[in-house]
Amino acid sequence: MTVVLVVDDEPQIRRALRTSLEAHGYDVATVGTGEEGVVAAAEQAPDLMLLDLGLPDIDGTEVIRRVRAFSDVPVIVLSVRELQTDKVAALDAGADDYVTKPFGMEELLARSRATMRRTQADESAAPVVRFETLQVDLPKRLVTLDGDQVRLTPTEYGLLEALVTNPGKLLTHQWLLRKVWGPGYGTETTYLRTYIRSLRKKLGDDAQAPALIVTEPGVGYRWIAEPTT
Amino acid sequence: MSLADTEKAGQRFHGVSGRGVVITLIAPAAAGAASMSLGRSGPAAAIALFLLAIVIAAVVGGLWSGLAAAIISSFALPFLYREPRFRLQFDGTEELLTPVVFLTVALVVGILVGGAAEERARASRREREARLLRHLSSAFVSGEVPDRVLDDFVRVLLEPFGLASAEVRVELDGTQLLARAEQAGATPGGPDTVVPLVVGPVSFGTLRVERPADRRSLGPHDQLLLEALSKQAAAALDRARLDARARVAQLDAETNQLRAAMFSSVTHDFRTPLASIKAGVTSLLDRSVEHDPGQERELLTTILEETDRLNRLVGNILDLARIRAGALTPTRHEAGLDEIAEAVVARLSPSLDRVRVVLDIADDVPSVAVDEMQLDQVMTNLLENAARHSPHNGEIRLSVAPTGGQVVVRVADRGPGIAEEDRERVFEAFYRGASSPDSPGTGLGLAIANAIVKAHGGRIWIDETPDGGACLAFEIPQSDRQAQEVQA
Repeated sequence: MTVVLVVDDEPQIRRALRTSLEAHGYDVATVGTGEEGVVAAAEQAPDLMLLDLGLPDIDGTEVIRRVRAFSDVPVIVLSVRELQTDKVAALDAGADDYVTKPFGMEELLARSRATMRRTQADESAAPVVRFETLQVDLPKRLVTLDGDQVRLTPTEYGLLEALVTNPGKLLTHQWLLRKVWGPGYGTETTYLRTYIRSLRKKLGDDAQAPALIVTEPGVGYRWIAEPTT
Repeated sequence: MSLADTEKAGQRFHGVSGRGVVITLIAPAAAGAASMSLGRSGPAAAIALFLLAIVIAAVVGGLWSGLAAAIISSFALPFLYREPRFRLQFDGTEELLTPVVFLTVALVVGILVGGAAEERARASRREREARLLRHLSSAFVSGEVPDRVLDDFVRVLLEPFGLASAEVRVELDGTQLLARAEQAGATPGGPDTVVPLVVGPVSFGTLRVERPADRRSLGPHDQLLLEALSKQAAAALDRARLDARARVAQLDAETNQLRAAMFSSVTHDFRTPLASIKAGVTSLLDRSVEHDPGQERELLTTILEETDRLNRLVGNILDLARIRAGALTPTRHEAGLDEIAEAVVARLSPSLDRVRVVLDIADDVPSVAVDEMQLDQVMTNLLENAARHSPHNGEIRLSVAPTGGQVVVRVADRGPGIAEEDRERVFEAFYRGASSPDSPGTGLGLAIANAIVKAHGGRIWIDETPDGGACLAFEIPQSDRQAQEVQA
């Protein structure tokens, strides 16, 4: 049974989430403070953590940092729109994604499934991932689209690899730059934009109606395609 | 040369300076010695020499020096030339004529020279006063803050009046202001003068000036001038005070107007969606009626739409409050407006299914330094606004293109367009076009877009649309150009 831990100080939100998640077959644990959240993350070993950023005791970003010290559990941050910079900080601290309050359950469930796929993918560690007609052979560093090889530059491939190995996770500009370009990078968003653009073009992804890479302006990029088996 | 120095020059006429005493003694002595050295060439040459000495004394030392030299010469001439020599004695009218001529010459030359000197002094003093007044009045009318005006005022007084210090103490609308200036190198402790700063019946405070320890107190003329200047300063303060009050009153009026608009908007705009939501939920909870699945879905869709509308309204009001509080500081990064446009369209497309959004992006859109989330919001607001005014299945064209150092974004719809009389006001908060007073918008989206674009140094406007519909456009300066401007 999949266990979802909800950390939110609003009882109404906890109740609404519990009802909806249980209706979808999840096992739900709810707590109202950050301290309790860290403890519950350790004791209950949840498969997903839904974390409100505005907690009464400790900052949500601090909760993520503490949880990340012992767990790789997918964390989705629930936050109001007014705290945009906090969201980036939470993502940089190790959160997988964020959902803006008020959110639709449909969207939250979709994001939840996507982020949980990341940890499941890790376990199976599939060397070849397929997304409809796109296939990425990680050991061979080979990308094919409709059976034809897609020629990517090393940077483009690095970017694609970072994205497909973190499906559903919202990867911040800073994280991607450090991962693909190196530790000395972090603010060169223009490079990132240029390479994302050319990658999209080569993979045939329409930025206006993306099926592979979604842009979150001011935050980063997310790989949304579901792997086909 | 200061006003005080010109005053000293005026003393040539009124008193005898040290230089005057010296020339009074030296000039006749030199004349006597010269005539003696000429030997017995006769008194005519001696008279000429003494006349020259008198003129020199009068020119250099002034009237009193001239007269003194004339008297000395009058006695010296018979003393030197009359037989027996070196005896002081006058006889006959002819002998008396020489001193009279000498004195007359001294008087005429002295008066002429003194008058010219005084005229010169007066002229330069007038010029200086005019310059001072000009300087002060330009500082006073430029609408500067009172502190700055006063600082300038006391500083400017120091040199013209030869002051050791000048200090002004003023009370303006309950605030105590103090401005003080000191002349470097002057020893304070000399005589002081206190002048009130008065406009009509209102007294703002006083000006106190202090002369250096080794100088005399200010003359009556300087005191009058100081009073005139103080009146000007007081008038400037009065103006500053009235200006500040007018500004506060205007701001209050604007705030009140906004508050009233916000209040009516909040009561109306919040209650409407709340009413729909409550009606929908209560009918769903009502066990006495059977809703078929279609009805149920319709009620739930209404609830969802109205929740979104409420959420948008809350977000907009918060944004507006932040803008009003001046907290809208963009965190700028290099970004592409083309990429933001794509992301906004990708995100909004599912909810904008009743219109067709067409993206028109130019090749090579240059980078701009913007707060991406804020620009995302601008485009979101413009698109939602266009969608609200679009006919069913109407086309909305979102274009991004560079133009002369700017990146221009246009959002054009096929709706009824914006009436001429509304164009000035669509970017105002809570304004809804006269043609669509009941539009479901919050009346805030465009005001927020406007504030964000302006905070980025850009411009937002309503573009001409010859084919009908409305086209809202904004532009953001290109990054490299911005960098140049910052350097300049």
